[in-house]
Amino acid sequence: MNALLDLLPLPYPEAVVATGSAVLGFIAGSLAPFAVLRGRAMFGDAMSHGTLPGVALAFLFVGVKDPAVLLVGAAICALGAAALMIGLERAGRTAPDAAIGITLSASFALGIVLLTHIAQGGSGQQSGLDAYLFGQAAGMVVRDVWFTLILGGLALLAIVVFFRLLRSASFDPQFSAVAGVPTWTIDAASTALLVIAVVLGVRTVGAILMVALLVAPCVAARALTNRLGTLVPVSGAIGALAGVSGALLAGRAGLPTGPVIVLLATAFAAAALLFAPRRGVLSRAWRRHAARSARLESEQVSR
Amino acid sequence: MNTDDAIILLTAGTLATACGLLGPFLVLRRQSLTSDAIGHAVLPGVVAMYLLTGSRSSLLATLGAAAFGLLCVLAIDALRRTRLLGTDAAIALTFPALFSLGVLGVSGFASGAHLDLDSTIYGEITFAPFRTMSLGAVEFPRPLLMTLLAVLLALGFVLLSWRGLQTLAFDPEFADIAGLRGRLIQRLLLMVSAIVAVIVFDSVGAILVVTFFVVPAAAAQLVANRLDTMLLVSVAIGWVSSFVGQRAAVAYDSSIAGMIGLTTVGCFLLLRLLAPRRGLLWRWLRLARRRDNTGAPARTGADSAQPKNTSASA
Repeated sequence: MNALLDLLPLPYPEAVVATGSAVLGFIAGSLAPFAVLRGRAMFGDAMSHGTLPGVALAFLFVGVKDPAVLLVGAAICALGAAALMIGLERAGRTAPDAAIGITLSASFALGIVLLTHIAQGGSGQQSGLDAYLFGQAAGMVVRDVWFTLILGGLALLAIVVFFRLLRSASFDPQFSAVAGVPTWTIDAASTALLVIAVVLGVRTVGAILMVALLVAPCVAARALTNRLGTLVPVSGAIGALAGVSGALLAGRAGLPTGPVIVLLATAFAAAALLFAPRRGVLSRAWRRHAARSARLESEQVSR
Repeated sequence: MNTDDAIILLTAGTLATACGLLGPFLVLRRQSLTSDAIGHAVLPGVVAMYLLTGSRSSLLATLGAAAFGLLCVLAIDALRRTRLLGTDAAIALTFPALFSLGVLGVSGFASGAHLDLDSTIYGEITFAPFRTMSLGAVEFPRPLLMTLLAVLLALGFVLLSWRGLQTLAFDPEFADIAGLRGRLIQRLLLMVSAIVAVIVFDSVGAILVVTFFVVPAAAAQLVANRLDTMLLVSVAIGWVSSFVGQRAAVAYDSSIAGMIGLTTVGCFLLLRLLAPRRGLLWRWLRLARRRDNTGAPARTGADSAQPKNTSASA
């Protein structure tokens, strides 16, 4: 890894942050379609807020700010948040968006209460725990990049292996249920994939902004392609591009990395929505205009 | 309970009233998360006005926040109308970008100043009694005045457009053809919610906006069968949670906003379990009883009608 980083024409810390953000962007971007296509774009938001009480609880139990321990706590609580959302949806009467809102509230309120409690303990150890809300890409070290690569690589492998199952579950859940696909398992598995992306991303861009990394690249890619087989890599590539350019730009300008990455990813999405060759807003407007003038012309001719 | 506690409780309760009146419509229209989006999107407005005026509690800051709240609602609507992405994706695309602008503003220009992110996110309801303004001869807490205005706004809107809102909540297409101006009322609902959300943001922080709008309304949905009951129940839940949450925060020396949020969610979970007819506990008991009586066909036949009912109402 170090030899690889030395190849980049960048100072070492910058190379680490840029590589890490690129890897993270690629992984979040390629996992995103399976959530966005199922109308679960905001799932990631509730999950990333769910990491907050997880981090606080892990710190309370262990008492040290060991990144690995905090990560495990975050993952467990994000899974819990996902389970709560799916459970509330299945219990009936509560619409998916309200279930997300409730989970969001529960995680965040619990997170605040726990963080207040920890702050009153006043060991001084706790400072920086709320960096989890806003992320800290600049603090990334090589170990984090390795970690992202390994966990994310596993997630990508799972996508490749189970691609057909995931595809039928995201486009036609009813069909796949009838066709004998274990929908519960697929649901749980795709949720677990999302948890991986969220837990990896929260440390970099923060809980509040994580949802953008899970949605914007996918929206951009969706405007460009109609096939899931292309959507996943294109979305991943757009995420990686936003990650690396955001990290470099933020590093040069001395700004926090997370918001810059998010703004770039959103700008890519907006550009794709406007300028996409066939589905874009402008090209559709142009086609409408062309169709109207053709109709007017033919009317004039027939007159 | 001393005067400060009473002022905090009144502020939270009036807020819960304003949100409890609007929340049910957002929940029924499946727009709950718009409130979350607005709660985050107002940050750049606050920051911009802070940079211009140098004060966080000015009326201008509230106006700046309101401008960005409305911008957020309009952007979501515009994105949705491209039909290239769903409502949830439109929401998830809009508010992080606006929030990022706010974070950049805080860290780039306002760092070291009296505008820290934590307090804008966690809220400052604790300081509500101290942010006073003079009304004639009396010193009056400004947040309470703002929340009272929010209640007036919400109440006025709901009363004036009750019929349109009622139709919109259950049958938006009919509301449109029946001359009830469904689309206009929908847009007004979002705008009024944006203004109320700004006021909530100012007093309890960004994230509890979604708590106040969504959780009481979703809880009321579990017990109410009529729209007016749903509104009343959600306002009542808001007051109960404000009271219990504030007391608990004092007792455990914890964050007031956080405790109020936890209590609201607690109320929801309690109703989810124990609501008459729709409570999960009753459903589990029914299932357990049926499992015991698998031998008696008449019994299972009578029971199977009920789960059908509940799934239809989902």
